[in-house]
Amino acid sequence: MNHIDNGDNGSNGDNRAAGADDGFGGESVLDEAEFGAGLLEEELRQAAAILDPVPPELRRLAVDAYALHDLDARLAELTFDSLVDAIPVRGATDVPRMLTFRTGELSVDVEVTAHGLIGQLLPPQPARIEVLGGPHPAAPATLTADTMGRFAGELPRTGPFALRLRTGGEVVVTEWMRA
Amino acid sequence: MDRADVGALVQSAVDGDAAAWKALVEGLSPLVWSVVRAHRLSDADAHEVYQTVWFRFAQHLGRIREPHKAGSWLATTARNESLKVIRGWQRLTPTDDPHLLDRVSEDRTPEQSLLDSEEAAAQSERVRRLWQEFEELGERCRQLLRVLMASPPPSYQEVSAALGIAVGSIGPLRQRCLRRLRARLDARGAS
Repeated sequence: MNHIDNGDNGSNGDNRAAGADDGFGGESVLDEAEFGAGLLEEELRQAAAILDPVPPELRRLAVDAYALHDLDARLAELTFDSLVDAIPVRGATDVPRMLTFRTGELSVDVEVTAHGLIGQLLPPQPARIEVLGGPHPAAPATLTADTMGRFAGELPRTGPFALRLRTGGEVVVTEWMRA
Repeated sequence: MDRADVGALVQSAVDGDAAAWKALVEGLSPLVWSVVRAHRLSDADAHEVYQTVWFRFAQHLGRIREPHKAGSWLATTARNESLKVIRGWQRLTPTDDPHLLDRVSEDRTPEQSLLDSEEAAAQSERVRRLWQEFEELGERCRQLLRVLMASPPPSYQEVSAALGIAVGSIGPLRQRCLRRLRARLDARGAS
């Protein structure tokens, strides 16, 4: 592909020939500089395609992820992540990861430890919970939240996970997360 | 990818068109991978972030407010998840050792995959040199160029989302980084 002038980014108001960079004089010099830069960028693009392409198995997983497009379930979005929102205690290492997902009145608190996960539904209520590990669930581990809304279980060894909860008449799924 | 196309493909995918979803993956997964690699994640972490980004995109498909900006949505999510991985390393070790950020994939060196590629045999030396000089550029230039070299080329809005830098600064910075890379290649060729 030859996108030297990046013409396929029509809506890209800031064209790549944005000169005004430094001491270049006439426009033809600028064009020439941009032409050379475009060529070098294209060379890099080809090098990346050879040396660091998207691994094919990942591309396949992304294609298969279409199955995760689930309009029947309500999406509980991540509203707290200790990795981002909490200030670590000085010197404390190996602190558990705390996550909170919310949709409407329902919140799901999850603590990820070396041993798996511990969770709490609020307001407290029983639920059946599937631990999803990707677009091809062999048979997802199923947990039960007790009447106090508490649950615990294991996580997939690798890869992202999501929780699919059935409470009352409703299905709620959390956003996908890396543990 | 053309943004009008992206918007239309997202809409078709929402309406149940699996081929449209596949086209989105084909057109935008190199961008996601580039963003992850620009942050120097190890292979294992890079794979997890890439999956998280696409799984989450599938979840949000019908909820994305500006479908034509799906590329920026993916780039932003890939950036945020990459930064979380880096925060996780910092938390595991009490130091702020900057070398941690330089952790690169160990299981597959560029040289090995180069040997694997017959297509590249003829110009392998040139490609190898180019890649080596690119890797040795300053961190800022290395990051920017790694995102720019996604195929098809990302828009500046997507680059901005991927790296958290202003759209207006990308053009001048790109010029400068490519000029610096060219100078390094020329210097090497001359010696």
